[in-house]
Amino acid sequence: MIEVAVVLDRQHRPLHWHEPPDADAAALPDSRDLWEALWAARAQLSGVAHSHLHRGRPAPSWTDLTTFAACEAGLGVRLSWWIVTLDDASCFTHRGPGRYDYTGRTAIDQETAAWIAELRRRSLRDHPAGGLETP
Amino acid sequence: MNQRMIGASQARLNITWDGQNGDLPDSVPFDASDAEIKAWASEALRGGGVPGVTAARRADLQDFVIDRFPATDEMPYNRLFVRPKTPFGIQCG
Repeated sequence: MIEVAVVLDRQHRPLHWHEPPDADAAALPDSRDLWEALWAARAQLSGVAHSHLHRGRPAPSWTDLTTFAACEAGLGVRLSWWIVTLDDASCFTHRGPGRYDYTGRTAIDQETAAWIAELRRRSLRDHPAGGLETP
Repeated sequence: MNQRMIGASQARLNITWDGQNGDLPDSVPFDASDAEIKAWASEALRGGGVPGVTAARRADLQDFVIDRFPATDEMPYNRLFVRPKTPFGIQCG
């Protein structure tokens, strides 16, 4: 199992899958390649999703929150930051007042469900249990 | 910046902020610390000193990182890039 990220366009379709060789089950390391993918897609970008390999309600780590804020500062736009666990998914957006104050909501439509299932499949690809069902 | 004026121990500094991107007019030491580079970049951003980037009085590069690229045959001077960090998850160490 490894954490995986995916860059999403404004129609919530995957633009770029981020599966670096140095990722593990707990973290995706800093990556210039991912930043270049975000910068290249900035005109059509809506957000980024990444997997958390546990069950239950998603919650961003401090690393996640500081990455959300940094990328938005660099790109000059607010984005949607999805976190997908094995049986749930939430979309976090900046609500303020602080720099790192992001609030989650769950709103999974049909198009979102498709890439969520693919994100889980890629995250679990070496797991003996295989892919898990979409909630 | 004229690349012929960048010495072997110097580097061109590129800064990304607020959807814009530009090079600092003056070269900086290639072996400067990340903290030093971020301090110079912040000062330049706040003062409108980065061509192509609108002055940002509240620029804060706390969550940004530095990429370092030595000179090569194709790119005959050192380059430094200030960009947002991108890790996710639980970082150890």
